[in-house]
Amino acid sequence: MKAFAALVVATVALALGPLSARADMKQLEEAAKKEGEITWYVSHYTSEGAEELGATFTKLHGIKVNVVRTTAQVAYQRLTQDIKNGQTICDVFSSTDIGHLVRLKAQGHLEKYTPEDASKITEVFRNLDPDGYFHTTSAGFVLITYNSSKVKPEEAPKKWTDLLDPKWKDKISTGHPGFSGYVGTWVLQMKLLYGWDFFKKLEKNKPQIGRSINDTVTALNAGEREVAAGADGSTMFSAARGNPLSIVYPSDGAVLIIAPSAIIKGTKHPNAARLFMEYLYSIDAAKINVKHFGVPMRPEVPVAKGEKPVSEVKAIHPTVQQIYKGIPEAIEDWRDTFGN
Amino acid sequence: MAVSAPALPSKPAATTRLGRWDSSWLLWTGIIAVLLFLVVSPFVHLVATSFRSEDTGGFTWGNYAAAYGRERYVQALVNSLELGAGAALLAGIFAVPLAWAVSRTNMPGRGLVRALVLATFITPPYTGAVAWILLAGPNAGWLNRFYVLLTGADEGPFNIYSFPGLVAVVALYSYPYVFIFTSAALELVSSEMEDAANVLGAGTWLTMRRVTLPLALPAILGGLIICFLEAIALFASPAMIAIPARFNVVTTQLFQFFGNPVRVEVAAAYAMPLLGVTVLLVLVQRLLTRRRGFVALTGKGGERRPLALGPWRWVLFAYAMLVAALSVFLPYVFLLQAAFAKAWGRGFSLDNLSLRNFRFVLFEHATAAHSVLNSFLFGGAAATLGVVVALGVAYIVARRIVPFAGILGFLCVAPFVIPGVVLAIGFYSAYAPPPLALYGTAWILILAFTARFLPIGYVNASAAIRSLNPEMEEAVRVLGGGRLTAMRRVVAPLLKRSLLGAWLLMFIPATRELSSAIFLYGPNTKVVSVMIFDMSEEGNFEYLAALALILQLLTLPLLWIGQRAIGRDFMLRRSAT
Repeated sequence: MKAFAALVVATVALALGPLSARADMKQLEEAAKKEGEITWYVSHYTSEGAEELGATFTKLHGIKVNVVRTTAQVAYQRLTQDIKNGQTICDVFSSTDIGHLVRLKAQGHLEKYTPEDASKITEVFRNLDPDGYFHTTSAGFVLITYNSSKVKPEEAPKKWTDLLDPKWKDKISTGHPGFSGYVGTWVLQMKLLYGWDFFKKLEKNKPQIGRSINDTVTALNAGEREVAAGADGSTMFSAARGNPLSIVYPSDGAVLIIAPSAIIKGTKHPNAARLFMEYLYSIDAAKINVKHFGVPMRPEVPVAKGEKPVSEVKAIHPTVQQIYKGIPEAIEDWRDTFGN
Repeated sequence: MAVSAPALPSKPAATTRLGRWDSSWLLWTGIIAVLLFLVVSPFVHLVATSFRSEDTGGFTWGNYAAAYGRERYVQALVNSLELGAGAALLAGIFAVPLAWAVSRTNMPGRGLVRALVLATFITPPYTGAVAWILLAGPNAGWLNRFYVLLTGADEGPFNIYSFPGLVAVVALYSYPYVFIFTSAALELVSSEMEDAANVLGAGTWLTMRRVTLPLALPAILGGLIICFLEAIALFASPAMIAIPARFNVVTTQLFQFFGNPVRVEVAAAYAMPLLGVTVLLVLVQRLLTRRRGFVALTGKGGERRPLALGPWRWVLFAYAMLVAALSVFLPYVFLLQAAFAKAWGRGFSLDNLSLRNFRFVLFEHATAAHSVLNSFLFGGAAATLGVVVALGVAYIVARRIVPFAGILGFLCVAPFVIPGVVLAIGFYSAYAPPPLALYGTAWILILAFTARFLPIGYVNASAAIRSLNPEMEEAVRVLGGGRLTAMRRVVAPLLKRSLLGAWLLMFIPATRELSSAIFLYGPNTKVVSVMIFDMSEEGNFEYLAALALILQLLTLPLLWIGQRAIGRDFMLRRSAT
């Protein structure tokens, strides 16, 4: 009898839970529709990916999305200028640099909002900010990439320290931590793992340093370099077109990049912004992400061909606080070692 | 002589109203007001920012201390000055012989050489830089591979990722400025002056050295100065080449000040010495021009004969083809390969050919096609506004209509040296907030483009006006016409062709302007340069090349229309009647 009662309670709860959530969502959608549009400053998808996410949201909810896709530093610069001038143009801000969000939160520029589906995303992405001001909405890996027409799979480096082997002299490509949030996080993680010595030794192999992590794709495709610390998404995108590129998940850990989004305080479209945050956690959004070789937030959605689900990867990443404090310092270290 | 002076239009009915309405001061005031709005106000915001404390908003020297407190930052400044000087010098070496050969000699293929210089001019510097990375990368660059194949050496001699590499790439895409100015000036020099030298016993080379080139010197210097300023304000080419080569220049350093934490105040302080350099250069050029003080265009007839060079003309032709190979032939082979490739990393092969990239950027990409349209609209509006302001100011300066008119001339040239990113910040802080609230509108881009390319329009307009003998306007005034009538009936018709040329000279770079656009574009005003830059950051080289080629192709009909409309005067070419 007790068991039966428990079952009834559980069933009712299960039935009502989603129902009330759905009712809330209905209300949110109604309110959002009245606001009509949102402006989204975004750096953590490719421009095609961001545009498709925006267009699909418009199709689903009838709300226009003004996509302003640029690199993280430019997006942040734009947002801080807006704030200085007392303008609230941006409704949702998505960056690859967690430091941006930490700073904005500390200055009181973010609105606290936790999406309904926050508990449904892959575990490692949950609860990025315990206070609920910003949330992981995109992820990727920095891992070892190589030009498969020049390097055989068995010869490719298997772990990060393999890159220090003199046989890779003049053959390595990386991005610059002063330009790329991805590279900054990778540099910090390597420093935490092996100390700065790792980079002093790497310097002896004279890596070619581009700006964005995606410059490694160009360097490998051109045959200018053979191996790189590259990103899974842009490398696999290029490989899918037929370019001779492959990836290795390093045995000492692929560096997981966690990129957050947040609602800007005082926005003119608060409901549309909330609905958009909900949408970024939807199955629809996860599928679009995979189409553009991103890591899906939802575990139900399979990853793109050639990539591994996060659960099967030895993933390493610095904490939010380590990133906030450590990246500026790592950039200075980098400039001292590599000269600019 | 040089410009066939059209007969004064004879429609008195249209002029009576204008003739009576001679309060030309309204026009001058209007033009000066626009100039203040375009240049002075953003500039004042910039200077004020450089002295403002980020925390308290009060006055401080701290930003200057921060901007010059590190050897690395100062070194970047020195690198930029060296880059500017090196690129201008090399551009001069490329351009001056070509300009002379094309406008004064019987070198074969002169029309072809002009067309190739034009092709160089309409190639965005960042596109050229990408192509040159493929050509002269130390390991995989095609030139190096070819050299290794040919000689059996271990490695090739070229390394694009070096200071000389950057200088060469910047010079290759800025030499058309020197060419255009120099050939325009050379075509104004009448053979009579050279004949006079010949009569007095000077040979061909001595005449060229002592008569022809000195007469063209102010124009050559003008072109070199533009090259220098262009080189130190470029952002994309140094970002692509200097960073892997491990040195900074001012623009890449400025970009770092915009990183997290954003230090706009320090960036503003860091941009100030460049303004000093501009002032200096403008003064130098003015000094040289003033001392010569020649009036080459008098409305009288003149004659020029091409100089017969004998076998030397083939040497010159070979040189011209070498320059064209470096700036056009070789780079475009690789851009075409990428644009038509399924995967450009696979290199040349038939089964790698595809039109997919063009289809994608034209029809499938959400914003690519729209960004091209935006670029052409904003560029056109900016060039139009720019020509009007430049002509007005050039006239005010040349005829000394207001006291201290020289300052106005300086204001027109100043924006060229403010790197686009900094100019954008000035515009943003001046005009994004209410009451104007221009942010997100097309206007803020149009105004920034106008300010940015005003120097080209101004150098052009003022060269053209200086070549007009005031006697012609004085004649109008003696007959009772006002300044406006003189402007409308004499100055404008005489300069019509060079102004159309100036319009194109502003329009073309405006359609590919990146450094200011990247901070000012809004959700619906993305331009093609930003699109291309995004693609380079995403490693989408196939799409990038396709979009860059579409941009080039769309420019061609405009050039053709320009040539039809302006005839031989196109790109400042004077008709040789």
